[in-house]
Amino acid sequence: MPVSEAELASLASTRDIIHLGLIADDLRRQRHGLRTTFVRVADVPAVSVEPPVLPPAAGEIRICGVPATLAQAVSRVAQVVAAAAGAPVSGFSLADLEALAGAERAPLRTILEELHAAGLELIAEAPFDRLQDARRAVEEVNIAGLALARLTLQQLESTFAVALYQAVAALQRDVAVVRAFAPLPRLLNPAVPTTGYDDVRRVALARLVVDNVPSIQVDWSRYGPKLAQVALTVGADDVDAVSAIDDAPEGRRRAPLEEIRRNIVAAGQSPIERDGRFEPR
Amino acid sequence: MTIDRIADKVAAGGRIDAGEALALYRCAPTPTLGRLADAIRARRHPGGIVTYIIDRNVNYTNVCVAKCSFCAFYRPVGSAEGYVLGFDEIFRKIDETIAVGGGQLLLQGGHNPDLPLEWYEDLFRAVKARYPSFRLHALSPPEVIHLSRLTQKPIGEVLDRLIAAGLDSVPGGGAEILVDRVRRALHCYGKATSAEWLDVMRHAHRAGLRTTATMMYGTVETGEERIEHLMRLRALQDETAGFTAFIAWSYQPEHTELAGSEATAVDYLRTLATARIVLDNFESLQASWVTQGGKVGQLSLGYGANDMGSVMLEENVVRAAGAAYCMDEMEIVRNIEDAGFIAKRRNMHYEILGDPIFRDREIPRMLALSTSRTGGGGSSPEELRMYSARSLAGKRDRRQD
Repeated sequence: MPVSEAELASLASTRDIIHLGLIADDLRRQRHGLRTTFVRVADVPAVSVEPPVLPPAAGEIRICGVPATLAQAVSRVAQVVAAAAGAPVSGFSLADLEALAGAERAPLRTILEELHAAGLELIAEAPFDRLQDARRAVEEVNIAGLALARLTLQQLESTFAVALYQAVAALQRDVAVVRAFAPLPRLLNPAVPTTGYDDVRRVALARLVVDNVPSIQVDWSRYGPKLAQVALTVGADDVDAVSAIDDAPEGRRRAPLEEIRRNIVAAGQSPIERDGRFEPR
Repeated sequence: MTIDRIADKVAAGGRIDAGEALALYRCAPTPTLGRLADAIRARRHPGGIVTYIIDRNVNYTNVCVAKCSFCAFYRPVGSAEGYVLGFDEIFRKIDETIAVGGGQLLLQGGHNPDLPLEWYEDLFRAVKARYPSFRLHALSPPEVIHLSRLTQKPIGEVLDRLIAAGLDSVPGGGAEILVDRVRRALHCYGKATSAEWLDVMRHAHRAGLRTTATMMYGTVETGEERIEHLMRLRALQDETAGFTAFIAWSYQPEHTELAGSEATAVDYLRTLATARIVLDNFESLQASWVTQGGKVGQLSLGYGANDMGSVMLEENVVRAAGAAYCMDEMEIVRNIEDAGFIAKRRNMHYEILGDPIFRDREIPRMLALSTSRTGGGGSSPEELRMYSARSLAGKRDRRQD
């Protein structure tokens, strides 16, 4: 870790977000220079029998939702893969698949291997704080021939951020297959939303603590362009969930692709579009 | 001069010129700008207090002849969606504002040719008669110019009459960018040239009123023109010291003739920080959470802002152009305190009024801003018949043709 435990404790409670952001940005630059990657994602529901209509611009097709049975999940994966025209297909939460394994009375690896056999390339997300056995579950993903698109957090109290990030870093030391970590919580409370200071502090601390995961990721659709752009200046280097639908009913400059590029450049960085495999497009 | 030398000059309390300001805005790393701006804020407001006001943005009419290309709010004369608020509607809004601890209306509207100066005077007198201590922060410079043209009377006389009727202070709306090339491009040169906007403020300051200053950026202006805007405000403030605060917001493109895209959050923070550095004679800078959202609004407190603006209760203009953020008093205070500051209520003169109201008594949570009139247009208020209309549509509506 690039800062000492004492410094980290001080930074975790600081309100000097500019100082904290500067340290995180410096680390980000050492690792990625000015490159900021983004991926355009097309979401398709897990529970549907309708063949998906997929936008050709998608760099990742993501199956979202909780399948009721393994058979349903496998069938849906095969259907989506057939329509994906070679684009990488990700799907499901690893925590939901752990639960499915329990319900099916099958080993998690069997579930994962069957999904892989149906054409799934990546598990869409592994919510660290929801996994029953994070290390084992992530290792099973790897053994089954799948990749993990991102490690996420379902919920995150500010006071526990550093401890949780340290646990994430420890997991990566064990498994070494996590390519991206999204430190902002997936579950938002609209009655008490996180603040700008909360989010900036969490992204910056994640860059400092989880220094063994290549990418610190921010979600464009969940957190919005404004916060996502600011996150790029305090340690984040990858933007997830940019819309793959590139219609521009409100003018070319407001089309998703143009907007993400414009925001990255305005943050002083160079946009690189990638696909779900983290390969440049 | 290098960025480091300019930064050193700012840090030492020196005043920078337009070239230095442009160099900072264009080339300084964003954290450097934030650091410089935050240090100036801390020097001016050493107690760590961040203020806010409880008021309501009431737009008394959306009928406007100015037709600015960046505006999604106005309706032309004769439009079925045009409206004028009645005095009783305005009184009801004041009652609602007082009920949640507010003491002021920010009252602005379109350039409606069918509202003569007397209508404004009668409205202001009626408000003051009914609510003697309630403040009217009303009529931006282009509206004053519009009334001057309607009445064929000089700006000073119009302002004097409005002050006599109850005007307390003048909001800084309609400044956009105070460079005439930009104003021509945005079709707002006709409503007020840069010199005219500044002249109204000069008159208001000399008449003893305090005003705010604004900047709507992110349309067609260059970086040089953004800085020129700030320089002009700084020069007038040197002359009159009448501005209480500066507020910058980004152009909101939805439903406008100009269309295009919105400036980014990082550009907002850079613009705000640059403004704090250039406007070294302004006491207060507001965060525009209305256009930036609560998160970037809060982050503004690290980039030079010392005020979270208004709880607002109602907003119509930027919402028409796509911004739909809402923060009630509890949320504003939560954001201020979370950033490490002390939250205090203020009035338009930036005098501290006290601690948050919701800590003294129960205030209903507000999850959405009100609008002037749900559904847009409607029937004309009865009292409008007492005033002569200038447009044919207005005359017909009042049966004066």
